[in-house]
Amino acid sequence: MHSIPVASALGTDRLSLRYRFDRALDSALIWPVLVGATVIFLAVFIGYPVIYNLVMSFQEVNVGNLRSMHRPFVGLANYIKLLDDPLFWVVARNTASFVIGNVVLQCLGGLALALYFAQRFPGSGWLRGVILAGWMMPPLVIGGVWKWMLTSDNGVVNFVLQSLGLVSGKIYWLSDPAMSLISVMAANIWFGLPFNMILIAAGLAGIPQDILEAAALDGAGPVRRFFSITLPLLAPTLYALVALSTIYTMRAFDLIWTMTHGGPVDASNIFPVWSYRLSFEVFDFGTGAAISTEMLVIVFLVALVFVRSVRAESRI
Amino acid sequence: MITWTRRTVLGIGLATAALVAMPATAQTVTMWHIFGQPSEPGLGNIKRWNDANPSTQIDHKFIPFGQLSQQLIKGIATGDVPDLITIDNPNTASFASLGALEDLTDMVAKSSVIKASNFYKGSWGVTQWKGRQWAVPGEANTIALYYNADMFRAKGLDPDKPPKTWSELLAITEKLTDKSKNVYGLGFSAIQNEEGTSQWLAWLEQSGGSLTNLNSPDAVAALQVWTDLVAKEQVSKDALVRRQFEMTNAWTGGGSAMVISGPWELQRMKDVKFDWRVAPMPVRDGKNIQASALGGFVWGIPMGAKNKAGAFKVIEFMSLQPQMAQAWLGGRLPPSPNVVIDNPQFPAAYAAFKKQMEFARPRGPHPEWPTISAAVQTAIQEALTGRAKPAQALEKASKVIAPLLQKNPLPAAQ
Repeated sequence: MHSIPVASALGTDRLSLRYRFDRALDSALIWPVLVGATVIFLAVFIGYPVIYNLVMSFQEVNVGNLRSMHRPFVGLANYIKLLDDPLFWVVARNTASFVIGNVVLQCLGGLALALYFAQRFPGSGWLRGVILAGWMMPPLVIGGVWKWMLTSDNGVVNFVLQSLGLVSGKIYWLSDPAMSLISVMAANIWFGLPFNMILIAAGLAGIPQDILEAAALDGAGPVRRFFSITLPLLAPTLYALVALSTIYTMRAFDLIWTMTHGGPVDASNIFPVWSYRLSFEVFDFGTGAAISTEMLVIVFLVALVFVRSVRAESRI
Repeated sequence: MITWTRRTVLGIGLATAALVAMPATAQTVTMWHIFGQPSEPGLGNIKRWNDANPSTQIDHKFIPFGQLSQQLIKGIATGDVPDLITIDNPNTASFASLGALEDLTDMVAKSSVIKASNFYKGSWGVTQWKGRQWAVPGEANTIALYYNADMFRAKGLDPDKPPKTWSELLAITEKLTDKSKNVYGLGFSAIQNEEGTSQWLAWLEQSGGSLTNLNSPDAVAALQVWTDLVAKEQVSKDALVRRQFEMTNAWTGGGSAMVISGPWELQRMKDVKFDWRVAPMPVRDGKNIQASALGGFVWGIPMGAKNKAGAFKVIEFMSLQPQMAQAWLGGRLPPSPNVVIDNPQFPAAYAAFKKQMEFARPRGPHPEWPTISAAVQTAIQEALTGRAKPAQALEKASKVIAPLLQKNPLPAAQ
């Protein structure tokens, strides 16, 4: 047993309090508290909604029985209804294109931007900060501005393209079913790019300069240095980023809602938009919940794959 | 010991705060509404009530129009519903059939203020479901044809003779379309939401078709007109993704010569520099059926409301002539033909919209209106993008809609 050291008559209370606090934090007894707090937090804020949603996806839920909880269980009926809907495969294809396109282009673009600003030219740090501004704006505003720019009749994008003589006629960015998904994707890529850039820049900063300098002295050019040193050392960051981007894009909603409402003819409809529509426009909460569950499973699998690969990577 | 005391003080403080924040339900009517602008007549009417009834105050909260249903649903899910709510009129039957609203039949029967004869048939009709009364009309609106008289003159057209029939409309639209100046003849919203449905239903009803015979030649004609206007680039293809106010933006900016929209647009007309007018919707040649969309909100009492009696008294107050007459100031109309508005702002537009109101047809009432509407939207979008011929698109929609109407038929057309 330790005795409490008494430094002076003054402040004895404070010292001993502090000492006891430190001891408590260091003791093994703190672990149950930490675990308990985490478990309670997860159970209340993650577990409950997820399970609620899962249960709802096996029930017939409408406005009338939403409150009562006396909802008939319908087994897999919501899922079967979903798969039987001809819209399912349209939305699935849209979602896949949207997510893959976004993740690939956001990561490549973010990498390019991060490398660009790593070149330490005058004002590079400041300019990099300015680029972040786009990411700070609310998605509804971004969607509104992009919709405005992409207006086919007097939008600035068509105006510039036509003035430069790059296109002869109008491009119906949002109202042509062949274009609308590409347009909302462009807006979403633009929106997510700064976030990707910042994460990659942080990864770049973690690469020891002396390795790069040693390689340069050994005669490795910039391209060789990038592929043999920077990229391999950046890999864990990139894996994490791909996982994060996938999760972010899987739940994209606001931009599409503002720009196209999922139209025309569902050409830019993806799962989150469809789920919202079913729940809050048609009041079919069960099927809306089934979509959410299905998305959750996909996101979970993606996260799992990437967490595993990051772990494998760090073991090397 | 010190911490214990602090905690006690904190606890007492929180408890006091909770008590103060708790509304005294007996003397309060809680209301969720769509009155967002400070100038909204609805807010003025709430103030009138509060000034006149110090013992029963309205405790109110604004919900954006697009989030009304969602908020009510959330309220129902958590048991936190207001005593009174404004509902988008086509959703009344859905909410009623799902048990989300209190039955007002008995209260209305005893009321000396709220009588069917006081309201437009269409406005009254949407508050009924299975012979019971679930809501009371609050405000109404409809759509008509806005046109730029200066552009009429520039093309040698008489601005005092707006199109009265579809064929006149098509001819004038063609004349007014000026591709060199990037001007479309006409604008309407064909967006994939309720706005697109309500705009096209006006044409469907004018054509002589209806939702019950969506694959009839008349219904196909109504969709063919829209398809042709877009295919000929006399209406912007962006109509597929733009809401009514956005199509009107294009019109006020000189991007189109005419646009179909409602009186809610009038608020910004004082900033419009050209000579603008409003005309009733044209009718189909040979059919001469006057029809337009019916929009607006109804008052409903959500299931589980604590102060039903108080809420109904507020509804009665809002249904009196002085309160109803305020609607026009907010760019909407009273749901009653008997309400007289003296010296209305924009008198010519008021006359046109008031006339148009007489022919406004309700959407539904039908418990599965949202599903019916979604099928109609898909058909419109398929035809306008060229994915399907109007007849095919409507055939497909009618396969979705027919069984729903078989289960719950629509009331006979008024």
